[in-house]
Amino acid sequence: MTRMRELILHINGKKYASLIADHTTLLEFIREEGGLTGTKRGCDSGHCGSCTVLLEGRPVYSCITLAVQAEGKQVTTIEGLSGEGGTDGLHQIQKAFIDHYGIQCGFCTPGMILSAKALLEEKSEPTPEEIREAISGNLCRCTGYTNIVRSIEAAVKERLAAKGGGEGCPCKR
Amino acid sequence: MSMQKVVGNSHPGRTAADKAKGSGRYTDDLQLPGMVYGMILRSPYAHALVKSIDTRQAENVPGVLKILLPWEVPSKRYNCSGNPPSALLMKDELILTDHPLCLGDRIAAVAATSPRACREALQKLNVVYEKQEPVFDVMEALEEEAPLLHPEMGDTNLVKTIQAGEGDVEKGFEESDFLFEEVYETPPIQNVSMEPNGCICDASVPGKMMVISTSQTPFQERRILAELMDLKESDVRVIKPFMGGGFGERQQLHSQPVAALLSRETGRPVKIIHTREEQMVASVVRHSARIRMKLGVTKDGWIRGMKIEAWYNTGAYATHGPIVVAAGSRKVNYRIPHYEFRGHCVYTNGPVSGAVRGYGNPQLTFARETMMDTIARKLGMDPVAFRMKNHVKTGDHLPGVPYPLLSCAVDSCVEKGETLRRAIDEEDRKNSLWEGKSSQEKEAWGVAFCCHTSGPSSREGMSASIILINDDGSANLLIGSADIGQGSETILAQMAAEGLGIRLEEVSVTAADTGTTPYDTGTFASSQTYVSGNAVSLAVEDVRSKVMQGLAENMNLPEKAIAFQEGYFVVSQSGETLKLSLKEAVKRITFGAKGGIITGSSSYKAQEAPPPFAVCWAKVAVDQKTSSLRLMHIIEAVDVGNPINPEMVKAQVHGGVSMGIGYALMEEIQVDGQSQKVISSDLLHYQVPLAMDMPPVHVCLAESWEPSGPFGAKSVGELATVPVAAAIANAVAHATGETMVKIPLSGRFRPDVGLGRWQTSGKGRC
Repeated sequence: MTRMRELILHINGKKYASLIADHTTLLEFIREEGGLTGTKRGCDSGHCGSCTVLLEGRPVYSCITLAVQAEGKQVTTIEGLSGEGGTDGLHQIQKAFIDHYGIQCGFCTPGMILSAKALLEEKSEPTPEEIREAISGNLCRCTGYTNIVRSIEAAVKERLAAKGGGEGCPCKR
Repeated sequence: MSMQKVVGNSHPGRTAADKAKGSGRYTDDLQLPGMVYGMILRSPYAHALVKSIDTRQAENVPGVLKILLPWEVPSKRYNCSGNPPSALLMKDELILTDHPLCLGDRIAAVAATSPRACREALQKLNVVYEKQEPVFDVMEALEEEAPLLHPEMGDTNLVKTIQAGEGDVEKGFEESDFLFEEVYETPPIQNVSMEPNGCICDASVPGKMMVISTSQTPFQERRILAELMDLKESDVRVIKPFMGGGFGERQQLHSQPVAALLSRETGRPVKIIHTREEQMVASVVRHSARIRMKLGVTKDGWIRGMKIEAWYNTGAYATHGPIVVAAGSRKVNYRIPHYEFRGHCVYTNGPVSGAVRGYGNPQLTFARETMMDTIARKLGMDPVAFRMKNHVKTGDHLPGVPYPLLSCAVDSCVEKGETLRRAIDEEDRKNSLWEGKSSQEKEAWGVAFCCHTSGPSSREGMSASIILINDDGSANLLIGSADIGQGSETILAQMAAEGLGIRLEEVSVTAADTGTTPYDTGTFASSQTYVSGNAVSLAVEDVRSKVMQGLAENMNLPEKAIAFQEGYFVVSQSGETLKLSLKEAVKRITFGAKGGIITGSSSYKAQEAPPPFAVCWAKVAVDQKTSSLRLMHIIEAVDVGNPINPEMVKAQVHGGVSMGIGYALMEEIQVDGQSQKVISSDLLHYQVPLAMDMPPVHVCLAESWEPSGPFGAKSVGELATVPVAAAIANAVAHATGETMVKIPLSGRFRPDVGLGRWQTSGKGRC
């Protein structure tokens, strides 16, 4: 008989309470208990990055994170991104991916966008190399990464312009 | 910037926002009421007999509803490939088998209320195997003593030999001053779509079945499943939801027949989603090939004859085998008066080979383009000039294919690519001066040319389209076409919008649902732009003629008083002209005493399969001392006719290039010699290119127009990946002086990511 325990997780600022087995992964909790299907299962072994979510703002593979490890911490999934700096209920990074053709089949996209978000929180002006390194834990078979990197670079530029900083920005004081 | 309003302009995909928000629903995101889960017991051996299966312990696992054994299921053999019916498709596969012929072959299946219960039940099945001697090598499989893998098909492991050609190749060689002969080898590779294969099958109502699945060919699947389950096609509905890639991985049935049987037995919908391990072991791979190629040229560089004999490892089941062999033979892009091709498709106990992007072309292009470089070197000719001298032109035909080319803009490809190449070299020279480049590395460029097809080269591509015009002048486009991430729904909507004179946002799309959309042969052979596009164009023409008819009736005018020009219906009445948008025209027509509903439809059968062309350049830096190989740049110039959505075309090329890099450098299915088990059954050991592995990729779109194509378009999806491996191999040959006759090169060189290469990201694009 598998021991069940009650677990409360905070996902995208909302409380999710469920009775789960100890071995439940964060991915299983998010998709099955939380009903949030934006986070994808690409490999279930921590190799492809489709399941990337942010745990306290840091990207983790939710498929190899136990749900209990997220107890008391903020979990952000793709559904938790909205509005910030963007339009039409889209986060600025989501809009950049759309405008710069960084999305084809879309399966890697949620994980990719969250990895990008974490990078931009950490570094306001990442180099192209730093961008590529940051998303090298997210596999993509459709895009060859070219437009994904362009999308992230565009998001960086926009962010800097909005903040009034960055090289060559006309609004720099 | 296009003169047209919608076509020729880039638009982000119609569903890009859904994907960015994570609200697109893929197969595993969907649930049906009462749904349970299925899982397949797969053979741990490449060749074995199943002597017995004891289910008693498994049956007692809580949640288990049904266990299916191989001797309990219909023994009707089928061919799983998503192709129209053909004599080349061998029916050699069983839904479940007690004689597994490859690692991962389907033996038994279980349905349970959770995936965990399924897994536990499978583990508790007590299976007694009798191992059999496997054969993995094609040449060994053809020997007398080799185990006969399909006695029901014949007395040999040779599935079929495909022959093609024209002229008399021995005569061609007599006319040649130099003969070149070499044997090339290409490996099996995985498709690695990011979404694993999955399906939900609901056969709970007797006589009916609904399937939601990762499918590139819903209509072929409907046909095969209906036959397997003894149902009418009108009672079988196959739906493709959002789909995470394809590349050929879903151009054959995967678990649908098993899910269908489990659903019938349990009376509940059954969902089967492949694990990544299943995907790496039990989904189709690219046919590995051993290619003996002989080319004869005159001393001034004219190719007189080409002779190819190739052996293709089709693995345990034939699936697409003979068609892959035939398709590759029809894609030679040079004028060769004497051409002979013989391709042998052979069974082994290796992984099942099937549809993989390029479908037989990447293998032969690798061999041919490597040889072309060898010849150019020997003749002292520039590698591009040698190829251009022999390249087909508009009006020519491809060797062995008796149809004239209606477009070929390879000149434009070369011009744009070479201009860019020189600019890149100039930029690299500047950078290396102040970076203090190490002199240990030798830098070199390599080039490769190729063509592919727009729709099946057998000219069997078919598509149909229905357009419902709504009373507000917006349109519902119904197409059987399956968008697998390449953006076909978007470009087909663009074509409809352009043809109707409305905005892209005014076209809604319903697609790839056999219950509500009309037939489409399938998303393969790069068909969607050309075949499905032509079907949409015909449906648009039908709408326009009905609108003109409706206006004529409504306004009491002869039909010839109405024309369609530049997006408007132009009504000529007593010397005056009235311009009506679709919205205004429909407003007059739809309601009222003389009202009528406008619905357009079409059926299109491809008469042509116009080849798109590509030229790919690769720049590498090789350090012979450390055996490291650094990819510096890839340029690919493509002739896709008139690009419907230029940014999407470029995006396809980026992706195709990354697959080509994997093929050339790092992708390899590794089998442990002792245990004969696949080691590369996860994405750590099977290496696909990461973001860090990619060099700058530059794409050029040639100036071109295909007269038979919708708005002048040809395809790009598979073309993009075909020439890449050869370009890289040729670059390495230039850098090292040694011809590469085998890929991947990971056996010889260690790919070096190379720090500091990204300083110049974004420069030098076309």
